[in-house]
Amino acid sequence: RVTDRFWRVQEVLKYARHFRGRKNRCYKLAVRSVRRAFVKSTKARREKKRFLRALWITRIEAASLEHGLKYPAFISNLLKSQVELNRKMIADLAIYEPKTFKSLAALAQRRREEGFLAALGDGKEPEGIFSRIVHHY
Amino acid sequence: VAKTSLMSPPWPEVKLPDPVEEAKYHAEVVQKVNKMIATGQYGRLFAVVHFASKQWKITSEDLIMMDNVLEAECGDRIRMEKVLLVGADDFTLIGRPLLGKNLVRVEATVIEKTESWPKINMRFRKRHNYQKKKIIVNPQTVLRINTIEIFPCLS
Repeated sequence: RVTDRFWRVQEVLKYARHFRGRKNRCYKLAVRSVRRAFVKSTKARREKKRFLRALWITRIEAASLEHGLKYPAFISNLLKSQVELNRKMIADLAIYEPKTFKSLAALAQRRREEGFLAALGDGKEPEGIFSRIVHHY
Repeated sequence: VAKTSLMSPPWPEVKLPDPVEEAKYHAEVVQKVNKMIATGQYGRLFAVVHFASKQWKITSEDLIMMDNVLEAECGDRIRMEKVLLVGADDFTLIGRPLLGKNLVRVEATVIEKTESWPKINMRFRKRHNYQKKKIIVNPQTVLRINTIEIFPCLS
């Protein structure tokens, strides 16, 4: 004969105590709700990482726009200047250390300008090629 | 010749400051910061440390909990290398990507080694009689950051 049915039932009901309606009292309804709650929490643990990363990105975007830079420019230039702070840190710095974030934005802006100058190059046409612009003298 | 859209680049023209003057300015700033560090004119220091595959923003008297095992007994002093950033109120030292070991020193002590709360991993497929329940208990370590020190060895 089963003698510890009470404790087996309590094991499930203890996770359902804060639910709404009869799910927090009746075992048959509680089992289904508790099972769904566990499954949702396992899936949410994987989604939490994606959600937090999106949150950090929006925060960094807002902070960099205050300093006149867009998010892709900011992040790409920071990575090109070999600063390997991840998005969580940059978001935390933007909240709690505004001066440090301003210096990071200035660094990214400077690297961006250097990139523009490097992309323009010498400003000369390559050799042996007719230029499209015909100069009339 | 008429101006076409591809004659000039789409970004506004940029002019970098004079390199010689810039070098002078940089040397000045570095000397000033060195003096400030040497005389000790900083308040609370914060550092960004890469530890246990995560980045942490830490100050002194800080508690840190990591979700893994450290091979150190309780009460061991640990020196954290891999410092990415150090800052105070008036200046920050940004590492590219890391700062030198002769510049910063971060000390921490292991306080406790516990296990996390039992997390429940459950998979369920409806109408197929498939459910699995697993209880995961991670070992955790708690560290307290004792001090962050910087030395005036900038160049």
